[in-house]
Amino acid sequence: MGASTRQDFDGLFSLYLWIGIGVAVLVFAAVAFALVRYRDREGRVPSRRSEANALELGAATLIVAVVSLLVFRTFSTEAKEDSTPPAPVRIDVTAFQWGWRFTYPGQGVRVVGDDTEQPTFAVPGDETVAFALRSADVVHSFWIPGERFKRAAIPGRVTHFDIRFEDRGQEEGLCTEFCGLRHSGMRFDVWVLSRASYQRWLSAHR
Amino acid sequence: MAVGAPVALPAGRALGWLVGTDHKRTAARTAVVSLGFFLLSGVLALVMRAELAQPGLQFVSDHSYDELFTMHGSGMIYLFLTPAALALGLYLVPLQIGAADAALPRLSLWGFWTYLCGGLAMYGGFLTADGAGRDSWNASIPLASSTNTPGVGMDLWVIGVALAVAGSLAIAVSILVTIVRRRAPGMTMLRLPVFTWAMLATTFMVVASFPVLVVAMGLLLAERHLGGVFTGATGSIAYQHLFWFYGHPVVYVMFFPFVGAVAEVVATFSRKRFFGYRALVVSLLLFTALSMAVWGHHMFITAAVQNQYFSLTSHLLAVPAGIEYFDLIATMIGGAILLRTPMLFALGFILQFLIGGLTGIVVASPPLDYHVNGSFFIVAHFHYTLFAGSLFGLLAGVHYWFPKATGAMLREGLGKLSFWLLAIGANVTFFPMFFLGFDGMPRRVPDYAPRLGDLNLLSSIGAGVIALGVLVFLANVVVSLRRREPAGKDPWGAQTLEWWTSSPPPRHNFESLPAIRSYAPLLDLREAAEAWPAPEEAAAKEGAAA
Amino acid sequence: MARAGGSGSEGRGGGVKGGSVPLLAWAGLQVLLGAMLAIWSGGMPSLLLIGGAMPLVVLAAWNQGRAAPAETRLLPGESMPVAVLAIGIATAAVGLTAGLWLVLVGAEIAAFGAVWLAREMVLERRWLK
Repeated sequence: MGASTRQDFDGLFSLYLWIGIGVAVLVFAAVAFALVRYRDREGRVPSRRSEANALELGAATLIVAVVSLLVFRTFSTEAKEDSTPPAPVRIDVTAFQWGWRFTYPGQGVRVVGDDTEQPTFAVPGDETVAFALRSADVVHSFWIPGERFKRAAIPGRVTHFDIRFEDRGQEEGLCTEFCGLRHSGMRFDVWVLSRASYQRWLSAHR
Repeated sequence: MAVGAPVALPAGRALGWLVGTDHKRTAARTAVVSLGFFLLSGVLALVMRAELAQPGLQFVSDHSYDELFTMHGSGMIYLFLTPAALALGLYLVPLQIGAADAALPRLSLWGFWTYLCGGLAMYGGFLTADGAGRDSWNASIPLASSTNTPGVGMDLWVIGVALAVAGSLAIAVSILVTIVRRRAPGMTMLRLPVFTWAMLATTFMVVASFPVLVVAMGLLLAERHLGGVFTGATGSIAYQHLFWFYGHPVVYVMFFPFVGAVAEVVATFSRKRFFGYRALVVSLLLFTALSMAVWGHHMFITAAVQNQYFSLTSHLLAVPAGIEYFDLIATMIGGAILLRTPMLFALGFILQFLIGGLTGIVVASPPLDYHVNGSFFIVAHFHYTLFAGSLFGLLAGVHYWFPKATGAMLREGLGKLSFWLLAIGANVTFFPMFFLGFDGMPRRVPDYAPRLGDLNLLSSIGAGVIALGVLVFLANVVVSLRRREPAGKDPWGAQTLEWWTSSPPPRHNFESLPAIRSYAPLLDLREAAEAWPAPEEAAAKEGAAA
Repeated sequence: MARAGGSGSEGRGGGVKGGSVPLLAWAGLQVLLGAMLAIWSGGMPSLLLIGGAMPLVVLAAWNQGRAAPAETRLLPGESMPVAVLAIGIATAAVGLTAGLWLVLVGAEIAAFGAVWLAREMVLERRWLK
């Protein structure tokens, strides 16, 4: 049907990771080479060369090329994530000090929890879920590490985003924007279910 | 080129140490005070790592932990690394450009005292009923309002930050005007040493962004006491813009002076002039200018900024950064490299900052930032750039210029030991944090999911090794000052003007100046004479002549 | 106090006016980046960028207007009033949270320091002549 949010992340991250590792290996090797080959020893006279503008321009051009690739891939992934396909599943999330409220508009389902008893909500896998994120008080942030995605919850604003959940099973969620005393307790769980199980969960929670 | 005969100052008066206007004194004062704040803020980090070593809350409460991470970050940024970077510049720039003193010496003195008062105000919060500031080093609206974070301690934090940043701004203006107006005859802008160019670019960022922070803190104080400043749906975002407009350049203020110091060290210990000077000047201007235009990347997850613009500018930083790395490595290639302590720290900077910088490119991409923002991945990123990077650069500079400032050499053995302890400690502490963050550990929490316990324990052990490294460094300083090994004018066979004068320099810096024909005047003299003494020989000659 | 000579920056191809060039170049880059942002999305962020460059332009203009520093230069030895002024301002700032009384105390100290400083600088000018 389409890549999950996590797959979008993984594809882009691989690119950055391998280029990063490549650059690091290159620089480490160059430094090691210099240290070994040009170590001070008896009779070593240092070169007096101190300029190579053509080479520098070439290096800069190479970096611009790599950066252009990264920017292009980033912009396309971002455009994909920003696009809004039809999403039959909609969930309103409200963050507050120090817990979460999940409402399924039109379904009559509401899940609330806080740092003493963390809430769990459910989504169907392999389908686009549209979220509307709000904050009741200070700035919070809604993060599901397993899906590689977060958004800030800002008081006075509604932030809309889509997640396409991939794996089946239970995912953890956390607040990642420092929001006061019990910030570390502001957690939730997500059940990623098959369509049928999801409908059963909805009925059970009405 | 002779300088007029000066009148010597009476030395050693206590008053001189407190309010003397000699740029070397003001810089030394600022450096020593910043070291004090480093140690204080470092102890806070050790307490945090002790708490985080195992899941669950063992030593501190949620409230205390919030104070700890706030004051650790605030102390390190506002009270240590920024003032230390500017102090390094204030000490060296007049010497490197052949000036008798900095311009506007009273302004930098005012800056020191204002910064000191700011630091005392911030830390003074610990003595109040509700404790010190506890809304992180950047604060946020509406969490930092007086209803959400009550207490005098938080007010003192806001005022202290404003004072510390205003003081730093004053010192930077003094350095900037010095470079513009006080260069010796023959020292054109394109003959400024690399470190001075780095400082110039730094002061541009300070002058452009620090005033905005002072205004932001003023508005925050007004919000806390009068309310109605940051209101409605846009209030929180407006504050973030004001803060991060300063908050991003400041991390480059804590980087450029040290890359400049590393460049000087690499050139001297490769026995070559710095490679690619013109390319470096262009990349310094581009890098610092770009760094003013990337702050939105701290706000990608709010979906309230123009992500594409800020992602583009953030990615483009790689270009001038790449040129600087090219120049550093090209300086080493073809040289005759000596691995003394300053060079070890410089190499540590080059390799470790790279890791921080490359992970910075990762977070320049909004979709990638959506995962790692606010997690320990970011904590690892900025500790690699600021601790494993900038602090190592600072230590390279300290070990290099200590003989000039004090007339005494630091011990090589202790220096190398402190380097290895810090290098091992830094990597053991911060590398695991990349994985912790990726795996789901947010920042600013005293407790976490039990499965993350092993890596946290490893990280905490690393912190202990860092502490040892710092102690060895302090011991080195104490021992070297007690049992002095005289340094002479130029113990390293260096290239720039500060090594022409005595160690330490007199009040008016120079009795005479050589001809200035490039950014490495002393190297020019040596090449012209085709003499090439090793540092030990040069030192012996000094000793014989003295 | 000490006198030192020859700290002027005149020289072939250099000079004080040359010092303004990097400032203006950098300010120009800021305005360019700010203009780009203004076109892309506008609003407060682009104003911050363009506004941030202004202090440097002012500094460059000030530098162009002033003559190069004199050959002989007076290096002040100490300046107690500066410290007093700084402490006064800081006290007044802290007073914003403690109460009007402290703001007034701080302002008094600052005023005292400012007057002392002015006197010190005037005396210094006279001594130089």
